Amino acid sequence: MPILAIDTSTMVSSVAVGDKKKLAAELTVQTRLTHSETLMPHIQQVMEMAGIRREELDAVAVNIGPGSFTGLRIGLGAAKAMAYALDIPLIGVPAMVVLAWQTQAPGIRLVPLIDAQKGNVYTASYIWEPAAENGQTALKLTCQEAINVKALQEVLDQLAADGGLAMVSGDMAAKKAAMLAEQGRLPENIILAEAQAMMPRAACVAIAAAHRLEAGDYEMSAVMDMEPIYIRRSEAEELWEKRQAKLAAEAGEQAEL
Amino acid sequence: MEEKLTLAIESSCDETSAAVLRGGRTVLSNIIATQIPVHQKFGGVVPEIASRKHIVNIMPVIDEAISKAGVELKDIDQVAVTYGPGLAGALLVGVSAAKSLAFSLDVPLIGVNHLEGHIFANFISHPDLKPPFVSLVVSGGHTSLVHVKGYNSFSLMGQTRDDAAGEAFDKVARVMGLPYPGGPQIDRLAKEGNPEAIDFPKALQNKGNYEFSFSGLKSAVLNYLNSMKLKGIEVNKADVAASFQNTVIEVLIGKALQAIKETGCNTLVLAGGVAANSSLEARLRAAAERNNIRFCYPDKILCTDNAAMIGCRGYYQAEAGSFSNLYLNAVPGLALQDV
Repeated sequence: MPILAIDTSTMVSSVAVGDKKKLAAELTVQTRLTHSETLMPHIQQVMEMAGIRREELDAVAVNIGPGSFTGLRIGLGAAKAMAYALDIPLIGVPAMVVLAWQTQAPGIRLVPLIDAQKGNVYTASYIWEPAAENGQTALKLTCQEAINVKALQEVLDQLAADGGLAMVSGDMAAKKAAMLAEQGRLPENIILAEAQAMMPRAACVAIAAAHRLEAGDYEMSAVMDMEPIYIRRSEAEELWEKRQAKLAAEAGEQAEL
Repeated sequence: MEEKLTLAIESSCDETSAAVLRGGRTVLSNIIATQIPVHQKFGGVVPEIASRKHIVNIMPVIDEAISKAGVELKDIDQVAVTYGPGLAGALLVGVSAAKSLAFSLDVPLIGVNHLEGHIFANFISHPDLKPPFVSLVVSGGHTSLVHVKGYNSFSLMGQTRDDAAGEAFDKVARVMGLPYPGGPQIDRLAKEGNPEAIDFPKALQNKGNYEFSFSGLKSAVLNYLNSMKLKGIEVNKADVAASFQNTVIEVLIGKALQAIKETGCNTLVLAGGVAANSSLEARLRAAAERNNIRFCYPDKILCTDNAAMIGCRGYYQAEAGSFSNLYLNAVPGLALQDV
């Protein structure tokens, strides 16, 4: 049941094809080339390398953010059109879940730090917990704190106060937390992910989606109406609402006089 | 042989559109999802909001274009898409979807210049129209004169140096407190005004100069409105609109007629969003009649940004064997060029 997975949510461009049993091929490039030029050629190359034809695909999976607005739309635009043309399900995997799949080990808090601009990060908190499944022990991903936007320092302070081992990953961890670690200013219970687990990879998108596909956890309507997880509104909308609130306040003062 | 089926996609600004054409000129469907109401409160198109709407609209619009055309996706022979000029984030949604469709359906991809698309809208509205002709392209961001020598051979005679005609319309409308988009508002208001009331300046009037400049005219209108305000004189907005529009139209007509003379063409073709301006169309028609030349402009729906015109342009590119590969990128500043 091969799945084609796409991740263009950050500067990393990653494409993979595989299923739960076998990851057939993955191409992950971190070179600052534009996703819009390279994504389709990469998809073509990965499918050729894996020896999988388009019509053999069972689903398309994509990292739906949060992340770079334009990057997310390049990935989702391609994923939607492919799922539509091949008439197969489209499965969107949140960026936080993709990063959690990079480090599949129990007992450690996994805290993605994704650049939300202006010193802020999109963050969340996940943990892998052992659970019995068919007489075996399997790991289940549990969300401890849902996606939200915070100042980077606030997240680090909170993790230090909470105690317990936490691993940070994502593009903001790569940029800022790495700098803090070098300066010896990172709280001691916080571990930096190594380079391979620091960035979102399509292999993890594929595996996360494979579980969803098997469990029937997807909607066929997603091909038509799926949107990226932006969290933040556009700057124009934020400014407009601020201005409206100000006007309303002024009108209120006028009415009182 | 059965004529080719082209699926075309357009998302360069605030319209998401998809169309299916049989051959180059038979439009089987042309679906347009406009975002004008969404951007109205901001007084102009907000790029990030436009991109967000495109990614939501793109698949329903494509799906509707296929079903309205009464064809099956697997019958599509080629995919054409606008890759510029336009808003980067907006273009990328259409380009990404088109590349992926072409790859998934295993059919050729054709990247189309949006401005060439506007010219080709005329081939759809006028089945007997053939090159050579001179085209006056007047849209929100562009004003140019193009000598169309053949389906795949153009020569750019001149274009705007600064503000395009459409831009000047929008800015003048904004200053006069008219709602966005300003072009149709000025057109409406001008009908009630005297086009000779105010004498606004015309730029680059030397013979053989096919370049346009409307920023001076725009400033003159703004200065006029300001000075009247300072003097406490109430302006007749209809007169301002009529005089401004008249100045733009006289410049456009003058240069278009000169271009016709120089190239020896006997057909003038109007293209672009501002082609929907009723006075421009009427005055160009009258000028063409006086000079005994044919005048064409597209049906109103084909004047707006639409995918049918992209499909038409794409079809003729494909006929000449001009295809794009999967590396196709959006080019926001793409210009009309000599081909």
